[in-house]
Amino acid sequence: MRTPAPADLQRWSEEVARDPDSLAFLPLAQAYRRQGKREAALRLCLRGLERHPAHVEAHALLARLYLEEGDREKACDEWAIVLRLDPENFEAHRGLGFAYLERGQYGAARDHLERAAAVRPGDPAVREALAFLEELQPSSNGQREATERPEPPAAATPGVHDPRRVFEPLMADASFLGALVLDEQGLVLVGTLAPDQDVDALGATLGGAVHDEATRTATHLGLGAWKGILLETTRALIHLSPLGSGLVLLVALRRDTPAGWARHAASRAAELARGFLEGRA
Amino acid sequence: MTDEVFATVLDRVSRVPGVRGVLVVDAQAGVPVVAEVEDGVADSAVAALATALFRRAARAAEGSEFGHLDALQLEAEGGHVVVAGAGELLLVAVAAGDAQLGLLRLEVQRAVEDLW
Repeated sequence: MRTPAPADLQRWSEEVARDPDSLAFLPLAQAYRRQGKREAALRLCLRGLERHPAHVEAHALLARLYLEEGDREKACDEWAIVLRLDPENFEAHRGLGFAYLERGQYGAARDHLERAAAVRPGDPAVREALAFLEELQPSSNGQREATERPEPPAAATPGVHDPRRVFEPLMADASFLGALVLDEQGLVLVGTLAPDQDVDALGATLGGAVHDEATRTATHLGLGAWKGILLETTRALIHLSPLGSGLVLLVALRRDTPAGWARHAASRAAELARGFLEGRA
Repeated sequence: MTDEVFATVLDRVSRVPGVRGVLVVDAQAGVPVVAEVEDGVADSAVAALATALFRRAARAAEGSEFGHLDALQLEAEGGHVVVAGAGELLLVAVAAGDAQLGLLRLEVQRAVEDLW
């Protein structure tokens, strides 16, 4: 990006002062950041986001500003918002990938870094990080099979062997409350929810009951097989979908989550669940 | 509740592209109070099934501490069923698979506000 001319800065500054809804806050904040005026950039960005809460680039810039301040938690929150708005955003996947890597959450790190690599295959930092992860924790179709290395202990591979941690890669999304795979009787096979939830009771009441009723309704109305059901309650959005073999996937999200995003999260959770169940079979 | 309110509600939701039927249903009895459905959509069956599904999901949600059920949306291979609670009434919409779901949800939400 070219360095903005002083005249540009002046124009953007006047525009923002004159019209608080102006999108000129973003190039102005970017310019301030490059000049080292991070506090001013942060203020502008926050103010701009009050008017334009779904502005992807502004959230991405805010994440970068927080990161440069050393506040990784806030940066991760912003990247999570970016991914809600733009699920294939390279910068957010890369940022979250490195954050998880630093925390030792390798499964989640790999997930984000692989998605970043899919967007920009040539990024050297992402390639290097994935190579590091491959050495540390070979992927199932890579070195582990080739060398027939014994399975590492579960503690060394978080999120892979522990059924309660299968959905950990989704925890970066602030709206995600948890997910469960339930069998026909409503027993919980995989996943977990918020610590205060009695997941067994929840499985028994929600899983079996709703599955049967959804099947009956869709069949009798001539709509074919049911693919999903979204419940909007006062406390959460709950998405249920059939996983095959009588299993049901339940995904819980915050109440203010857009319905489209709930379906996207359920689809990602289904991939993780299937991956885990196939790996165990 | 006046006939005018019911007519407005049915009209508003049935205008959404892809909607095949709209019903206001007695939430206790599971029978239609008023309905506007295309030929081939059995309003009594829709009312009974949608009510049973909603009541079961509502009991399950409350029993599992997720709170009161406001609305549900069933997605099937051949279409969608949206059910929203309005006190003693339920608003039910049956829509084709390619219906504009976002708009449908919005109109159902507005219609429910009229029904309260």
